[in-house]
Order: sequence, then C-alpha cells, then structure tokens
Amino acid sequence: MADDDDYGEMEDFNDEEPMDDLGDIDQENEDAEGERIDLIEADKGTASTERVTTPFMTKYERARILGTRALQIAMGAPVMVEIEGETDPLEIARKELKARKIPIIVRRYLPDGSFEDWSVDQLAVGNW
Amino acid sequence: MKEQYRIPDSARKATAVTFFPGSSEFIRQAAHVPICNAKLYEEQPGRLTPAALGPLDGRLGVSSKGGTCATCGLPLLNCIGHFGFFDLELPVFHIGYFKLVINCLQCICRNCSRLLLTAEEKTNFLRQIANPGLDYLRRKALHKKIITSCKKNKMCLHCGQINGVVKKAVGVPLKIADALDREDISEYTQVMNANPEINKLLPKAKFSQLTPLQVQKIFSRILPEDIAIIMVRCGQEKHPQDLLLTRIPVPPVCIRPSVASEVKAGTTEDDLTMKLSEIFLINDVLRKHKRDGAPSKTVHETWEHLQIQCALYINAEVSGLPPDMQSKKTIRGLTQRLKGKQGRFRGNLSGKRVDFTSRTVISPDPNLRIDQVGVPIHVAKILTFPEVVNDLNIEKMRQLVRNGPDVHPGANYIDSKTQGKRYLRIGNRDYMAEKLQRGDIVERHLNDNDPVLFNRQPSLHKISIMSHRAKVMPGRTLRFNECACAPYNADFDGDEMNLHLPQTYEARAEASLLMGVKSNLITPRSGEPLVAAIQDFITGGYLMTHKDTFFPRAEVHRFAAAIIDASAKKQTRMFIPPPAILRPVELWTGKQLIELVIRPDADSEINLNLKTKNKSYTKNEDLCHNDSYVIIRNSQLICGVLDKSLLGSGSKVNIFYILLRDFGEDAAVDAMWRLARMAPVYLTNRGFSIGIGDVKPSERLLSERKALINEGYHKCDDFIAQLASGRLKTQPGCSEKETLESLILRELSVVRDHAGQVCVKNLSSHNAPLTMAICGSKGSFINISQMIACVGQQAISGHRPPDGFENRCLPHFPRYQNTPQAKGFVENSFYSGLTPTEFFFHTMGGREGLVDTAVKTAETDDRLDPALMEAKDGSVIDFEHVWNHVRCLTNSNTCDEEIAPAEMKIFIKNSLQDHFSNEIKAYLVEKHREEKSQIDKKEQTMAPNLSDDDVFEEVSNWGTRSSTLAVKTIWNDLWQFLAKIMNRGAKVYELPSTCKSHKNAKTGSRQSNSTSCHNCVRAFNYRKRLLASMYLTHEQVTVFVEKCANKWKKAISEPGTTVGAIAATSIGEPSTQMTLKTFHFAGVASMNITQGVPRIKEIINAVKSISTPVISASLRDESDGDLARRCKARIEKTTLGRNLAQRIRLLRLEVTPYSIQRAIAATKFEIPLKIADIHPRGKTMIVIRPAVSQKMSRRGHFQYLKRVLSRVIVKGLRDVSRCVIHVDESKGNRHELLIEGTDYLGVMCTNGVNPVKTRFNNALVVAQVLGIEAARKIIIEEILSTMESHGISLDRRHVMLLADIMTYRGEVLGITRNGLVKMKESVLLLASFERTTDHLFEAAFFGQKDEIKGVSESIILGTPIRIGTGMHKLLFKHPASLPIRPRPILLDAIFKDSK
Repeated sequence: MADDDDYGEMEDFNDEEPMDDLGDIDQENEDAEGERIDLIEADKGTASTERVTTPFMTKYERARILGTRALQIAMGAPVMVEIEGETDPLEIARKELKARKIPIIVRRYLPDGSFEDWSVDQLAVGNW
Repeated sequence: MKEQYRIPDSARKATAVTFFPGSSEFIRQAAHVPICNAKLYEEQPGRLTPAALGPLDGRLGVSSKGGTCATCGLPLLNCIGHFGFFDLELPVFHIGYFKLVINCLQCICRNCSRLLLTAEEKTNFLRQIANPGLDYLRRKALHKKIITSCKKNKMCLHCGQINGVVKKAVGVPLKIADALDREDISEYTQVMNANPEINKLLPKAKFSQLTPLQVQKIFSRILPEDIAIIMVRCGQEKHPQDLLLTRIPVPPVCIRPSVASEVKAGTTEDDLTMKLSEIFLINDVLRKHKRDGAPSKTVHETWEHLQIQCALYINAEVSGLPPDMQSKKTIRGLTQRLKGKQGRFRGNLSGKRVDFTSRTVISPDPNLRIDQVGVPIHVAKILTFPEVVNDLNIEKMRQLVRNGPDVHPGANYIDSKTQGKRYLRIGNRDYMAEKLQRGDIVERHLNDNDPVLFNRQPSLHKISIMSHRAKVMPGRTLRFNECACAPYNADFDGDEMNLHLPQTYEARAEASLLMGVKSNLITPRSGEPLVAAIQDFITGGYLMTHKDTFFPRAEVHRFAAAIIDASAKKQTRMFIPPPAILRPVELWTGKQLIELVIRPDADSEINLNLKTKNKSYTKNEDLCHNDSYVIIRNSQLICGVLDKSLLGSGSKVNIFYILLRDFGEDAAVDAMWRLARMAPVYLTNRGFSIGIGDVKPSERLLSERKALINEGYHKCDDFIAQLASGRLKTQPGCSEKETLESLILRELSVVRDHAGQVCVKNLSSHNAPLTMAICGSKGSFINISQMIACVGQQAISGHRPPDGFENRCLPHFPRYQNTPQAKGFVENSFYSGLTPTEFFFHTMGGREGLVDTAVKTAETDDRLDPALMEAKDGSVIDFEHVWNHVRCLTNSNTCDEEIAPAEMKIFIKNSLQDHFSNEIKAYLVEKHREEKSQIDKKEQTMAPNLSDDDVFEEVSNWGTRSSTLAVKTIWNDLWQFLAKIMNRGAKVYELPSTCKSHKNAKTGSRQSNSTSCHNCVRAFNYRKRLLASMYLTHEQVTVFVEKCANKWKKAISEPGTTVGAIAATSIGEPSTQMTLKTFHFAGVASMNITQGVPRIKEIINAVKSISTPVISASLRDESDGDLARRCKARIEKTTLGRNLAQRIRLLRLEVTPYSIQRAIAATKFEIPLKIADIHPRGKTMIVIRPAVSQKMSRRGHFQYLKRVLSRVIVKGLRDVSRCVIHVDESKGNRHELLIEGTDYLGVMCTNGVNPVKTRFNNALVVAQVLGIEAARKIIIEEILSTMESHGISLDRRHVMLLADIMTYRGEVLGITRNGLVKMKESVLLLASFERTTDHLFEAAFFGQKDEIKGVSESIILGTPIRIGTGMHKLLFKHPASLPIRPRPILLDAIFKDSK
C-alpha cells in the first residue's frame, strides 16, 4: 500500500511540474514561504494596475532591505556589484541598492490585510 | 552569535492569548504531580533531597544549577517547569474573582439559581450577546447593564423567592452578605425552639452569610443556557463554579527557587513555597476536623483561616484582615510578583536587560564629527561584534585573530561550526588565524565607524538614543561633539551616558539608517533643528563675523587648516576667497570665513541662499545699525552677524537647517563640524574670558540705579499710604490687598527692568557677558543686570514671600510692614553683595525652584509620560489607498484625521515665498550666464501655458489628489507664486525688441536693423537685460518645480512611522522643561489661569472640574463698551441682598419686580413659595405672604425667609463667580468678557453675547454643550496655548493626534486608568500599565482573547512588531533568467516522429 501511495504522489508531482514553470516569480516565492492561503487573496491585491501604495521606498524599507542584504553578504552571498576594496557588508549593500541590484521583493501589507509586492528595482529610492 | 529573528517555518505562532479561570479539571490536566506531602525535604543526613510529592518535588522542575528535571530531563536553562496540584477540603473564594462572584450572585435567584430577568429582557440580552462583533469594551459595558437590570428584579419569576441585596460583607474580608427577608424566618424555627434567645435577636439580623460552599451549590444549579448571559458569552467550557477555588495549582519550582545557604545548614525558601505548605497544612487540619467530626465552630475557624491564607497566597496585600491573621512580614504573593515597576510585566516582560553595553562619564570633544562618539580603547576591547568570515574579509579577520584580545583592533573569541567557541587569550593565535574558515564567526573588537547606540537617561524622546559612529581613542571617557548635547540634554558636569553595540547586521543597518545622528538633526517635536552649534561655537561665530574683524593671510590659513579633515576618505581642494582688502596689507574679513565653513570645497554644489533678521534686528534691513540683517548669497555671507538664531538650535533660519533642507544632511553636519573646529581656534586666538571687571558697575550706573530704586520705593510707599487711607482704587475683581500686591509687584519689576536697561546701555561692547547675552550663546540680559545692578524681587509661587512669622516675613522687620525691603525685594546686585535679609529672601526663591524641579520631574516621569505612551502606542501611519494620503489608525479604528508629516520640514506658507524667491533668483543668475546667448530663442523661453507639461501635471495631481486643506493651500501658494513671476516675465517678453520706427520690420531682418538704428540697439539691449533678470526659461521653471516636488515628497512622513509614540514624547518631553508651575497672568486683570504641568495634566486627564474655568465671551458688537457692561450685569450674579436697588441703578440691571417674583418662586426653600404668595407692589416693593404650613411656626417661617431670601439670585448665572470686561486696546478697543465659572451654556445664551465666538477652556463641558468636535478643538487649542506660554514650540499635529485619541470614542476620555480602560482593548497592554492583576482577573472572567497586535503585547510576547521596519515582509526575488527547463521525456521524440 505504502509503495502505491508514494508512486501516486510522484506522478502527481510530475504532472504539476510544467505548471510551476509557467507561474510567475511571485508565486514561486509564495510557494517557498508556504503561504498558499494568502495566494488566493493576493491575486487581486498584487495586480500592478491596482497598486495604491507609494512608489517610493520608505526609510524603513530601505533600512530593512539594506540590513537583510548586508547579512546575506556577510554570510557569503555573491555580490552583485564591483566592491572596489570595500569589506563592510552594509557599504556593499548600499552600493548594490544604488545600482538597483538587490534581489529582494518588498511585501507591503495594507490595513485590510491584503498586500502588494514591489521589487526593489521598481521602487524609487529617494536619495534626497 | 546572536540569533537573527527568523519567521518560523512551522505553523506555530503566537497569534493570541486567551485568558480564562482554570477549572479544577484544567488544573489537574495541566499538572504533572499531585502534591500530598507537606514536608519540603526528606530528612537525610548530609544533604537535602526534596520530599517526594511535596511542594518541592523533583518533578516540578529544577531550581538549582546542577540538577536536571525529573519530568523532562532537561537542565535549569531549558526546563520550563511543571505544575502540581492539591485539592482543598472545602471550597474558598478566589480573591481575584471575589467581586465577580458577587456580581454573578446578584444575577441569579439564591433559591433556584434562575436568572433574575424577565423573559423579554432575557431574549434581548441573548441577542446582544450573540452579536459576533461584540468587542471587549462593549462586553464589559453589557455585563454592567445585565447586572443592573438583574438587581432591579427582586422576585424570582421561577420560584417566587424574594431575593435581597447581595454585597460584600462590611468589616470582614472575603465574606458575602445576603440580605435576609423577614418572611424567611421560618427556616430558623428549629433553632429558635432550641435556643429561645435567638428569638429576640433574629428580627435584628439583617444579613446572612453566604459561604463558598453555598455559593458553589447555587452556581452548580445554574441552567447551562443562563451561563451565557451571566458570563457574557464566555463560551461553553467556562462555568461560574470555576471562579471558586477548589483545587490549588502548585507552580513550578523555578519561579520559587530555594536558596541553599552556605553559612548555616538548611535552605531559604521562597515566600510562595512557604505559603503553599502553610495552605497545605491547614487543609490537612481541616480534613482531620471533618473526619473526626470536630465541632462546627472549629471547622469554621479553620475554614476561615484557609480562606485567608489562600487569599494571601494570591494577593498578599489584602486589606481589612483581622490583626491576628495578618502575617508578620509582608510576603510577595502572586499579585505582587506581577505588578509594579519591578514586577513581571513592567520589569521583565516589557523591558529587558542587555549585554554589550558600557557606561562612563562623558566629556566634550569638538574635534570629533557630529555623528561620532569617542570610545575608550578599554571599552572597545570588551565590546565585540560577531563578524562572519567571508571571502571579502578573511584576511582582515586573520589579522584581528592574530592580534588577540589584548591589542586593540583584535578579537576575543572565534566561534566555528566544527570546533565550538574558543577564547583567543589561550592557544596559538597564529595557528588559529591560519585555520580560519569561511563561515566562522570572529567576535572582533569594536572598531572605528561601527554604529553604536548612545543614550542618556532620562530617555524622554526618541532622540535620547541615537546611533553614532564609534571612534576608538585613548582615555577613559566617552566623548562627542558638543553640538549633539541638546538632544540628550547632556552637559559635562559629571554626566554619564550609555553605549550599546548592536549585534547583528540588520540591527547595525537599522541603527545607522534610522537612528543615526544625521537622520535626527531635527526634532519631530517642532520640526526645528536640535543638533546645532552651542555656547562657544555661537560666540565664536558671532565675534568672527563682526564688521571690525579682519585677519591677515597667516591667520586665515590657520583657520583653513583647522577645518581640514585628515581622516576623510576623499580629500578635496579648498578654496580661500580673495582678500577683502588688498592694500596696504592683504586682509580678510571674518564674514569671508563663513564661506569656508559652509563650502570650503572649490567645486562644491552647495549654494546657500538666505535673507533673514537675527535676534537684535532694529530696522532698515542691511543698514541696521547692529549689523543684524543677514544676507547669505551663494554661500557667501554678504552682511550681518551670525548669532543664535542663525547658528543655534530651535530656529528655522539656522544655516545648518537650511543646508540640511536644501543640500542634505551631510552638508549640514560637515558645516557644523567645521564651525565647531574653527570657532574654538578663533576664540583661543582672540581670547574670550570673564572677570570681576566685567560686572563692576560704573559710578554713573550706581547713581542712576540709586535714583531708580528710590523712585520705586517712593511709589510703593505711596501705594501703601493709599491703602492705609482707603484711597486705593481696586482693580476689577480684586480686593484692596490684592490690588496693592499687584501694583507693588509691577512697580518693582519695572525698577529691576530699568536698572537692567541702564546697565546694559552703559556696558562696553567688549563686555563678555554682554556679548554672550546678545549673541544668545549663554545668559540673558536679566542675568547681567542681576550681577551688576539689582537682583530684584524674589517671588514665591508668583507672589511676594508670605508671612512666615507672625504678620511678617522675617523677624528682622516690624509687624505688618509692607515695604519692598520687608517683602523680598533685593536691591543689591550679586557684585555688591546681599544683606542678610536679602540673602534669606534669595534662598527662599532658590528653594522654590529646586523643589519645583524635583516635584515636576517626579510627576512627569512617573505619570504623564508613561500614560501618554500607553495611550498612543499603536498609532502608526499605514499604507493607505492614496500614497500621500496617510491616515492615522488609532487602535484599528480609523479616526478621520489625516496626520500629515510629523517631520514636515518646509512648506510653511511664509517660508515658501522667502525661500524660493531667494533660490530662484540665485538660480536664475547662474543659469543665465550659460544661456545668455540663447535667451531669445523661442523654444527656450517659457510658454505661458505649462499645464500640458509632464512635471506640472504630476505636481498639480499631488495638489488635487490630497484632501487636506494644508496641502491645498501649499499648492495654491506655489501656483500663485509662479503665476506672479510668469506675469512679470510675460510683460517683459511683450516689450518691443526694436524701436518704434522699425516695429514692423521682420524678425529675420532685426539683426541688420539693430546694427544700423541706434534706438533699436537700445531697445534690444534693454529687453535683453530685463529678460535676463526677470524672465524664466522653461528649464528653470521645470527645475524649480521639480525641486519643490522633491521637497514635498521628502516632507511627507512615511508609512510605518510611529506617529503615536512620537506625539506622546513630543508632548511629554517639554513638560519637564516647563519651569515653575506657577499661575500665569493672562494679561487681564487678575484672571489667573493654571499653567504648566498642572494644566497639561488637567487637560490630558480630562478633569471634570478644572481649577480655573474661564469662559471668554465675545459680544455682538465688540466696540460697544456699554453693551459689555450690560452683558456683564446679565451674567454676574446679583442676589436679593442689601444693595440691590443701588446695583440695579448703577449697573442698569434688567430686573423688574415680576422677574424677582419669578426668581423667588423658582428658588428652592424648605417650604416652597408659590408665585401666588408673592405680590409685587409698585416698583419698589414686593410683599410675600407665605402660606401657613405645618412644618414651621409662622414666626419661625418669617425668620427663615428673612435669612434665606437675601441669597436669592435675581439676575445672573449661578455658576459664575466673577466676570471681567477685557478691553483689547491693540485691536481698537475690542471688548470681551472673561467669566470665571462653568456655566458655558448660560453664558452663550445670554442676550448680547455672540455665542459663535464664545469659548470655554474645559473640554468636557464643551463636549456636552457643543459636541465632540468642539471639545477636540478645545483640547488642541488649550494644550498649544499652554505650551506656547512657556515658550515651547510644538507641532500642531502631535496635539491633534492626542485630541483625536481622547475623543474618538465619542466622549472625552482622559488618559488615566479609567479613560484608558475605555479606550484600549488589549488586556496585556492594560495589565502592563496599571492595576495589573485586576485586569487579568477580569479578562479571565470574560474569557477575553487578546490578539497580539499592538506594540506592548508584541514586546511582551516577543513577536516582531508591525511598525517601522516590521511593517513589511521581504521576499527573495529569484533571478528571472533561471527558467527551469522541463526535462524532455525520454520517448518524446519518438512520439512526435510517429505523429
């Protein structure tokens, strides 16, 4: 019995594989997060035409993104820009942000529980 | 390494905390061990082993370091502890639920346990309870409603039993009294037969006692469906029976550790353990009694004892215990462990202790950058940061490891996955460095440029803790630039400060980006700069920019050298301006050096433009004789001296502020640092000191002072004589004595002021104290005049010192003496020295200041601040539908107030004009240099209709999309400004470019014309010049609008900002600065209004009867003095006293005999008079013939009436004590009434008063009369005006938020324990504020579920807070270029082929 079950699952998995590839990037992320329930709600919330939040990166988002990226760099993640002798992960993260090369998506939650996904290169960084 | 916070993968997450009273079943299920042994330890020689099944059983957890838990086998650190339990022989009341038990009993019949409600009420309540949207607050309200309606029904509808009142027994703790019903006596027939004495006593007995056992019986009979109503939808599993204690849970030993004493044998046990074993013993005794059939009296006594011990176990501070029951020493019961500042909630859950901290004395160092902090090497070697070794830093880390723990840039530990944590003092460091691998963690020393948090207590606002860059240096103190003193409120008289080193990369990033000094130059309280030059820097800047300051080349170069930063990453070329005087020697003015401060870099883009008046501006703009009109153009100081308003904090024309606004924080911080370097160099060169000579008065000054003082004394004597002879004219609403006091006070303060003016006038301009006072760096003119001329009147709480001795202030004076000298006037100066009596008076004044500071600090620290914080935490700007439409969400209820930026920096209406006109001009000049040649080209010039332009469209969209008025006005201003300039430009553009004769010539031929015709050339050049100076090109306007738009965007506060906390601290912090909680003279004759901290407290707490209620009533015709007097007469109360006739004539009171008749009839007497009893006779007489009454003899009645009638109010409002006419001469004799009293409605309804403009300073009353919005406005205005009167600038929006929070529930709720309860849902928040356990018990009764949403709850539970950086989630963005190719199916190709 057990063998049969396993086999069945395998088949299912194979069937699904091409589907996964078609799904967009966001969906893959959510799969990784294991938040399948949110996904359904999110479909309307994330549609880019309906984006309502500020197109600017808030200072909190900036701090969080830089912090997270600095941690990744410190842990040995491949750096996306020329480092020019810099060793401080935070400085490198800053450089990456300037070059818009940080591979991170910000998920903003609205008061009603829905959310919007903005990738870093979509957000305008106010450097003023 | 410190663990990063990870969003856990598992589905388990604390989303809510539910409170409920544990039933006995639950207690047993949660427990691991039944306790049935009173003994703590097994008696074994040599060592102590916990007795099995005793209160210290090994299965309850571990409390000693070495041991392991018998249940889970884990050591002390990991074992969470396990519960035990034991049963009580008889149930007892739980002290926490005692009140709630009474409430339950009040709802049900004591006979049949049915609800005391009619069927109709029952269905009604059931419906309300079934409402799923019922929140905690409403449930509590509903509970109250149910109880009151149950109390109304005396008779049980089911069994007909009459139920008396159930209440807490008076005088004895923890007993319930049930009012007896007379008819119930039959129950006692048997007893009465046995003991006839009871027969007599029984009718006197009013109450019977309800024992816990009886209560349990009553509760057990409650119908299941009724429970829902009694406990307000508490759910099925909770039964009112659970509120009684039948089983005691025995807590794990880890919360009550026993301490083994080393000195003597045995252990010291925790209070809880002792209490538990005591309860257990009594319980045993009770069991024995029950088994042996002891007399009921003994059983009862033991039971009572058990009851009290159980109560003490839960709450050791039970009041009203019989003296023999009170324990000798107070123990820490469960309640005591939770509540208070040191309790679990505030001491351990809301605030926690941290590692990697240091604290020492601070000292100043102007050589450090503004955002640096000097850290002693000794400290740097102890504070470490765990750095992960990676490809980039491995060599650096190797070097650090080689250096080891004793050499500064070294490391203390290596933590590697394979070998664990190793200390670097031991072992071969070279070897370890060699073996260092990627992924290892090196705990390296604190090094330069590490972000550290720097903090000084009291931390009253968010800028009390900021992130600095560390700079490791020798010495033993923490050092920082004096410019950063103001936010910490630090000085260097021995202050100590704390330093924390963030331990993760995320924390470092957040600290340096959000908490950095650079990001906090401006205080959110008022939007003014707080980090700015202070003291010597201002003095230096002031002296340097004087007109008569010149420097030779050597000195200029020396100053220039001072501002070179050798450690900067990028070295720049410095540009020294050409000398102002070339011959006979090259000399530079001091003003030229300011350019070096603002912009030393030759090719810097910083073009500061500013035009403003400084502190001592007189008139005539740049020709002001104090040289006080400051013009800075393109970073060059053209004219004016720099003083505090341009260099110091708290000013919006501060040059650093403008640098920050226009060119970013780096420009501001660098300029500030350069000033901090240059000013001390200049001052040490020039010399600036103070000596006795500076305060020595000249002969002339002495004689003038003497004349002034004598004159003042003379006048005062005159006033005293007037009082003695009764000639003194009283001020409105004052007694003669009060008038005298205020006259003398005013006279003496005039004397002091004049003396001060004389002395300041006579001082040389080189006088050091005077220089400091003028430029604002330290001290004021009053200080100078006190030192030189006259100290002045000493005041205690706003009055002259009171008579401490019999009718005199000090025993050195005769009694009743009222002269200035005898009442605290100090005529000497600090230089001339004080006489003994003067000295006494001075100490009295000084003492008041000290006491006031102490009291005020305690008050604000302990009450105001935390209360404000609690109330406002959780107000966050959220992402909302329109991006610049930030809404304030208060506790998930949207209050309809748009909180525009808390840190809005520009776009104050006036500054727009000034600033941008300056800027645009400067910009124009520059641009035109390049564009001169192109100016005539049509496409370069600005088309009048720009609306189709992209930038404009975007900008105008922002303007229209936002709904706030403020935003709209700002954009209107911008448009108008642009329109004005455009119009001006358009006129110029219309000018002919040729002379009249050649008007019709074609444009193409102009060139030839202009060369030939002289007039044409002139006209052409004329137009060209005007165009150059006044006309805007398209590009210029675009750049300008873009700049505005950028500033606008910057000014909007961002989603995630904790506006609530910022507002709370912004209001709480300045209240410590409010000196002297005295009464304030509101400019009007003796209409005192409470000011300072007491007033703020009054407003915030929403006190019902405020100490100085003042209604200011505007009149229908403000210029009409006569109307004012008549209105005053209408409002002020007039009684039927002696002078009525006179008053009526004098004040022209609108009183007729008939109105008096009505007034008398409306007044309440013991025997009421009817209108028919009162007969007006003519104009001057009223006859009263009271009806004959049984109560009083006729004669007595007359006597009574005679006494009482004089108090009848015939005109005016009862709740008005005083009414003063205030004439505002500055606004052209505007008359206004100021009324001391609370009858707001009455005043508004008075004829002649303009009700629309009548306001009252008590928000609660205003809410009743006009509604909640008006109350909100009053709260805002009152707080702002109180703050303003103390010279504290406070942004309006903070107060608006506060007012919103106080009013959003529809009634004015004070931020007190009572108000907060009505505002906040969260139990944990309420528990951490005040009355901790009460809230917990109540929540348990209601079965409240606390969803972890707010900040307090999240801190307590240790979950991430959804504020600021916690508001959003980050996801990894997979590279799009990595499509996963589907693996070709093996036989695919064959299939295709076959097809």
